[in-house]
Amino acid sequence: MALPHIFEAAWPDPSKLGADSKSAALLLNEARETFAGHLGVRSDEINFLGEPNLGFHLGISGLISEQNQFIFSNIDRMEVFALSEIHRSKMLSVEGTGQISFSDLERTDVACLQLCNRETGIIQSSRPANISGLFIDATASGTRIALPENWSTALWDSTTWAGPSGMGIFAVSKGANWKNPLPHLDGRINPGPASLPLIVASALAIDSWVADEKNLAAKIAAINTDIRNYITANIPDSDLAPGGADHLISASFLYVNAEQLVTKLADRGYPVDSGSACSASNMQPSHVLAALGVLTQGNIRLTIHHVTTFEEVKDFLEILSQTITELRS
Amino acid sequence: MILDCLGKRCPLPIIELAKVLTDKPIGFKVTLLSDDPASAPDLIAWARMTSNSTETGEPDTFYIVKLAN
Repeated sequence: MALPHIFEAAWPDPSKLGADSKSAALLLNEARETFAGHLGVRSDEINFLGEPNLGFHLGISGLISEQNQFIFSNIDRMEVFALSEIHRSKMLSVEGTGQISFSDLERTDVACLQLCNRETGIIQSSRPANISGLFIDATASGTRIALPENWSTALWDSTTWAGPSGMGIFAVSKGANWKNPLPHLDGRINPGPASLPLIVASALAIDSWVADEKNLAAKIAAINTDIRNYITANIPDSDLAPGGADHLISASFLYVNAEQLVTKLADRGYPVDSGSACSASNMQPSHVLAALGVLTQGNIRLTIHHVTTFEEVKDFLEILSQTITELRS
Repeated sequence: MILDCLGKRCPLPIIELAKVLTDKPIGFKVTLLSDDPASAPDLIAWARMTSNSTETGEPDTFYIVKLAN
């Protein structure tokens, strides 16, 4: 279904009576079932958020009362850092590999577990256990990594499966000790109705993304290896951040201004992101790279998409190498 | 020697440091002054990548020893 058709079919309010609303309610239920199947949760545990990052507050603050300490790590997202300021919190430091040790937790602790780091692709292998609550940040892992059995709340972002932006999926486990941290009068979890057309578009996207991922995972892994090998062998004074998820690579280059590098690469047809201070709106270097001890200057972050080809990557790497040589001279 | 890079933004302090060290002997010491927020993490990464040594002193002050050419 093309997007304009979705907007035509999904404009009525699914909570109202009437034929149009009934068919909209059917669309919503179908979408809910689709997400439940791909994300490994029950359909009645799913909530849609028009503001995806609101899910950090819902998922974390909803598990915490006065007796709980909040455990997070120094490579968690800034949204999690902000929440650590309003709760009694303890920050864990990652090892150089990006792994977090969740030993020594107390039964009353509430932890945040980032399944995959969105800057570097680092995948956490340890799982916090025997604690009061566990929030899962699945905003970079999407459907790639299964929820641990003892999850309490979880958050996904529709853009991870190439769905529309402005669409988060937030789940509260039936067994979780969770209270809505937002002002509320009824049992609704999300404050506003999320856009039904975006929900339907995202459900279509996750279906096709999961099907493609099965066929393309091996290609993406091979491209990841090609990029890492090329940078290590051909670009001196480079520093690759530890990775994990095959579609993400973060690489830094000594004596290079990242803002100039990103601008030149964009001019040459390659849009890439950066974690360097000079390309950040707050002029601060990436806290993830700093926590890992990886160089923060001259940093670029690459995402390998389903449509990315080997030829495209080969051309890009040559241009990357040339551009770095130019900027260093 | 003292290398004053106060007010200079990343990657300039580390580029200037590398330039200064180019023709200096092993064991040469530099005190780098830098208030750029990237300098603290990047000097550690630079020292690891280039086999040199760095230590953080008072705010915005870093002690560097050349250990490799």
